[in-house]
Amino acid sequence: MTSGQRKAHKYIWLVLIIVVPLTMFSSIKNLNIFSASRHMPTHLEGSHEISLKSYENDIVSVSVFESSIEVILKSTLKNSSAVVFEMDAKGNKSKAMGQLTTTGIYNFNTINLPKGIIIYDDLKQVEITKFSFQWD
Amino acid sequence: MGLNYKLVLWSKYKKTYDKVIIASMLLYIVLFAVITFVFNSETSIETLVIRAFGSLAIIMLHIILIIGPLSRLNTNFLPILFNRRHLGVSMFIAAFIHGGFSMFQFHALGDVNPIYSIFTSNMDYNSIRNFPFQVLGFLALLILFVMASTSHDFFLANLSAKVWKWLHMMVYVAYALIFAHVFLGAFQQETSLFTIVLMIVGFIVVASLHLITAFKESKIDNTKTVEKEGWLEVCNVSEIEEDRAKIFTVDKERVAIFKYEGKLSAIHNVCKHQGGPLGEGKVIDGCITCPWHGYQYLPHNGQSPAPFTEKVATYELKVDGSTVFINPKAFAEGTEVKPCNH
Repeated sequence: MTSGQRKAHKYIWLVLIIVVPLTMFSSIKNLNIFSASRHMPTHLEGSHEISLKSYENDIVSVSVFESSIEVILKSTLKNSSAVVFEMDAKGNKSKAMGQLTTTGIYNFNTINLPKGIIIYDDLKQVEITKFSFQWD
Repeated sequence: MGLNYKLVLWSKYKKTYDKVIIASMLLYIVLFAVITFVFNSETSIETLVIRAFGSLAIIMLHIILIIGPLSRLNTNFLPILFNRRHLGVSMFIAAFIHGGFSMFQFHALGDVNPIYSIFTSNMDYNSIRNFPFQVLGFLALLILFVMASTSHDFFLANLSAKVWKWLHMMVYVAYALIFAHVFLGAFQQETSLFTIVLMIVGFIVVASLHLITAFKESKIDNTKTVEKEGWLEVCNVSEIEEDRAKIFTVDKERVAIFKYEGKLSAIHNVCKHQGGPLGEGKVIDGCITCPWHGYQYLPHNGQSPAPFTEKVATYELKVDGSTVFINPKAFAEGTEVKPCNH
């Protein structure tokens, strides 16, 4: 390489070691990498605690607890993406809680219990299913 | 080194290299498919293809990016560098399959042009969670396409080595785009701590190797040489091995001083083919031979032997006692300079 090319390589990498980690950090800081714990059970038996509310359809069973929501995915979805969102007062998706991948039990911690949850395919931009929690 | 352009100048070594590439790619795809079906039997074929080839392309890109600095740090890696272009084209094919299937699955089934759809189906550029990451992947694929399609000596000769090298340094832009594509895309929809850690480790390895090499080379570039009446004192004759060279920096450019048959000759260190370091090669059959791809030059005039036409700059040398001096003013490429006896 010529001296110009060697210099260019050095400066390109000095820029990349700033830009790439910044992109990585800003993109993963809001992901629930650690808080959404997924179990791989031999049978899909959820928590034995008494839930505040329980809902079920063909796809999932949902149990709402004081500070968490348990989602039991009955079978792996065909969708490439299945993100669990909190539902706001207008029935729209708001904060992302985590994601579903294969069959299993998923627990999502929450500070304020949402109005419901929406399971959404972020790639195809379609709603997979949703539950509206009826609070008295 | 070839006089006429052929699609591939096959050699036994290149065939072996390519067989290893193909076998490794197939093995990865099969293993990926088996593991996926064992742990997630509901996965569709389209999703499997997209994920398998996408991850394969990323792994291959990391391997490609570490070959250069590894070869600079340790010459034992030079054989891998020799046919890196085939590895690059194979990586593009894997990336193209990933991109092609993704475009088909997510953008080809509507009533607008799939490429138009990539850019317009999601305009949420202010969002981290819902960033239109497919645009980033598409741009990276375009860069890889330009690089793969010009990975041939025809383009190298017609674009010039300098332009070709700058064009192929776009791989670093593609690398950054691919990182953003993965982190703003796949990891937002399917977060996996394992793959995030793997990507971070991959980046640390690639970036560290490039920076270590860059600073090592900078140190060599900034080496000061003693000047005496317009001549630079470079070394003692005994410091240069027979049929080998010692590399020095003259006016921020590298010069290789070769010792052969009782003579000394100096030429510009950069090969006209792909910028290989001529001074790390050796004199074979009277010709300086580039360690990267075997391009050859005559020591006394920097010209490739006929019928080849490559030329590099030459320099004047003198020996005082056993000390070698070089005139820092380079002669025009291909200028004959009488070798210096020692």
